[in-house]
Formats: sequence, C-alpha cells, structure tokens
Amino acid sequence: MTLTILKLEIRRVVRDRVRLFFTAIMPAFFYVIFGAAQSYGSIKVAHGNVAMMIMVAMAAYGAVAATASLGAATAIERATGWGRQLGLTPLGDGQYVAIKSALAVVVAIIPITIVSIIGASTDVEATPKAWVLSISILIGGSVLFALYGLVLGQLVRGEAALGAVSGSLVVLSFLGNLFFPLSGGWLTFARFTPLYGYATLARYPVSDGWVVSSDGDPVHEALWMPLTNVAVWLVILAVAATLLVRRSRARQ
Amino acid sequence: MTPAIELLQVSRRFRGSTLPVIAVDHIDLRIEPGEVVALLGPNGAGKTTTLDMVLGLSAPTSGSIKVFGMAPRAAVAAGRVAAVLQTGGLLPDLTVAETVEFIAATYSNPEPVMRVLDLANLSAISSRRVSKCSGGEQQRLRFALALLPRPDLLILDEPTAGMDVNARRDFWAQMHAEAREGRTVVFATHYLEEADDFADRTVLMSGGRIVADGPTEEIRAKATGRWVSADLADPARAIDRFGGQLVAQRFVVRAADSDSVALALLTEFGATNLEVVSGSLEDAFVALTEGAAK
Repeated sequence: MTLTILKLEIRRVVRDRVRLFFTAIMPAFFYVIFGAAQSYGSIKVAHGNVAMMIMVAMAAYGAVAATASLGAATAIERATGWGRQLGLTPLGDGQYVAIKSALAVVVAIIPITIVSIIGASTDVEATPKAWVLSISILIGGSVLFALYGLVLGQLVRGEAALGAVSGSLVVLSFLGNLFFPLSGGWLTFARFTPLYGYATLARYPVSDGWVVSSDGDPVHEALWMPLTNVAVWLVILAVAATLLVRRSRARQ
Repeated sequence: MTPAIELLQVSRRFRGSTLPVIAVDHIDLRIEPGEVVALLGPNGAGKTTTLDMVLGLSAPTSGSIKVFGMAPRAAVAAGRVAAVLQTGGLLPDLTVAETVEFIAATYSNPEPVMRVLDLANLSAISSRRVSKCSGGEQQRLRFALALLPRPDLLILDEPTAGMDVNARRDFWAQMHAEAREGRTVVFATHYLEEADDFADRTVLMSGGRIVADGPTEEIRAKATGRWVSADLADPARAIDRFGGQLVAQRFVVRAADSDSVALALLTEFGATNLEVVSGSLEDAFVALTEGAAK
C-alpha cells in the first residue's frame, strides 16, 4: 500500500519540472565553481583528494536543499486541508512521515548522482571504498533534512515556510563546513548543528576524520562525534515531525 | 444496539485572542445506526467542530465520544466511518483517478477504484487534473473518497456548498441511494430545505449547544413561524394571551400559527397596521436559543 503512495508522490515530483531542474542543476553548478575549477583540488587527503571533499560537500548541499524543500512543501500541502483528508484514513502519522522520508531519499539521489558524475569526469580522485561509502551516507542521511523541512514547515505556517527552510539551510551549510573551513569557537558551536554531522560523516570515508580549519591546522574528529550528532538529530526531528503531523489534522 | 454516535457532555474550547472561545458547550447526542440526521445551524454554531471531534480530527476539551462503541480514531482506522469535509483539501497536481488511488492505498480492503469513480460519476474525467476540476467535480471527488472504505457511517459537512442547483439535486439523489442501503448519514447544513428534504431527524445547534432535537417536521414548524406585529390599544392583554413583547410601542409576537393570531388581534383586540412577516432562519435560531436559555 505504501508503495502505491510512494509511486504517486514520485509522479508529483516529476511533474514539477521547474523545481526538478533547480534541484538537479544547482549543486552541480556550485561544484563546478568551488571544486572543479580550483587548483587546490588535486591536493591529496587520506583516501582521495580535496576535489572529492568539495564534491561531497556540494552533493550534501544539493541533497539537503532538495529534501528540506520537499519537507516544507509537505507541511504546506497538509495545511491546505490535505492533512484533514488523510486524517480520515487509517494512514498513521508515523507511516506518513516514513513515506515522505522515503520520497525525499529518492529525490536526493538526483543531485547526488549528477554532482558525482561531474566529479568523476573531472579531477575527483578517491578509492572505490570511499566512493561507495560517501555516496551511501549522502543518500541515507538526507532523510534527516526531509524531517527538518517537515518540522520547520509546520512551525512556520504558510508560504513563509519555504523561505525559512532555504534561508536557514544557507546558515546551516556554513556551520556544516560546506563552503569554507571553520575554526575555534565557531567550529565548537558548529559541531552541534545537523548539517555538520551529516557532512562530516559523508566525508569521513575520504578524510578519515581530518577536517581543514581556517587557521591552517587540520582538526581530527573522532567517528562517534558525527555519528552521535546525526543520531540525536534524527530522533529529535522524527518525533517532532510525527507530533506536528498529528496536529495538522485539525482545521487551520 | 451500539449507537452509531454517542456524545456525552462534550465540550470544545479554543484559545481566543482574549477569552477562550467555547465552540461546543456540553452537548449530549445519540444517533442510532440507520438514522439520517441533519445538523442544522447558522455559521459558528459548532457544527463543524462537533463533526471534527466525531471523526477524530480534533479531541474534545472534555466529555466522551464513541463511534460504534469505539474511540473516533479507531472507528476511522477500521473504515467504519468516512466523511466529505467542507474544507477537505485535495492535491491539485494529481488526477482524479490518482487521488482515488492514493486514498484507496491507505485502506486494507477498499472498494475498487473504478467502481468508486463510477458511483461518483467521475469516470469520464478520471484522467483530469484536480486543479482543472470545477468546484462541483471536486466535491464529487471528495464524495468518491468517502465511499472507498464502504463506511457504515457517512458524515457530510455542508456537502453541497458551492454546487449549482443540478449538482445539488444529483448529490442528494445519490445520498438517498446510500441511505437506502442502510448507512447512517449525518450531515451539517445551514439550509432548512436540505434538512427538510432529506433528514428524518434534525438536530438544531446554536452557540455551541443543541437547542432542539426531534423529527424534522417538528423542528421545521418551530423554525418557520412568522412574526406578527400590530398597533394595539391594550397591548398588555395581548401579551398575557399570546406572549410576545412591545417593540417601539408596537406589539410583536412570534407565532407558529400566525393566521389565527392575526385574526384574533384584528377581531378581538382592534389591531391596526397589522403586519405578518416570515422570519429568516437566523431569527428562528435566535428565538429557539432564547427559548432554551429560559
């Protein structure tokens, strides 16, 4: 039964051509600017090169932007009364959140794949193991941001939700060390933010946990740190999403 | 027999900007299987709030609600109850058939999609996007969705709002067919005629309370009385006999049998400038609410 719903939801995503285009193209564009065109891309790290690190960061940004906006759109569509319609069916709130999360993962595969193809055909170098692990983490971990979008979308009502989601993602991306390396107090703070955990985990197979910091000295992150970050955020966001979905059955 | 709906001392309050808003105020209601009941009342009477609680979409602030002896949400999950909602949203980017398919997928043993499309007269437009459907077509689609679980209880919240005359007539013809199959039907409306045409029993709500409950003809008689007013030499005597009151020096009374009151006023009280006007349904609600408060 959930497969039928997932199929229909995928069909809806495919129908929205404009959004699909930006979902697919924007992170690839970022990678070409920040990664492929830079001379430092060829510097070696543990199991690959810096270009690979940048590629993973841009794929993470693309996946997060795609899944979070999907989550926010879900919140908006529930507020328009679809939540009430679904509230009249046996579909459980947790089940619904799970279907939307699965949908987000499917959608996240699009930018991740395109960035990877561009990376592989330019100067990205990494061991096959690092490739497989990084891509898997990028895809699986994107669930977190579908939930993030869903939660923020229900807290910020109406069309403002999409703005809140994309705006906050830019901030979280900087804190996630995606665009340039942080250091000191900012880095300490960043460790508690959700995109830092996700991106650090996705880069771990390439870097073995070494993070470039802006004051020059590389910092090493133990594996438990990003793992704990992702696990804690996953629990918080999944519970919040389910509770908020339940609330959206009532008239608004 | 287990009642289809049983409400005991149900209240629902909302947070207002200053004071809490009491949308539903300690109502008791029992509806037996097979009944066709109209929930009649003006906007803001608490009809939708009551139906939302029966459907498990919101919880009562206090009191208990049972649907076929179960908690509302359990009755919905079991497919015993379905509804056509006034503000039930649809996804504009799905087609009619896809929407039915989507909701059907949430039930373990739904009515086949093709059959439901046929019943709701949607087969011809099954591949049309919801965004391209008229208001009446969207309402038929909501009705189709409500048929999917083969519910024992069908709840309709102002089901014909936004429909033209023909669509309205077709809809009620369809509802008659559903009721003949033994379904319990409860619908909210603010049209007295709809209650009159279709419901055996009418529950009149106003200000969050049930102000009258009985066979529809009885409620209709109460609600369709006329206002009789006249200038009288001795209004006090008329007030003693008919009730009513003085408004701007004129005697005014509401009467179910306005003809006999008018006749008596003219022949026995020497009335001048006599007027008989039919009050609106809103006036009737006010009159009945005041009656209930006394």
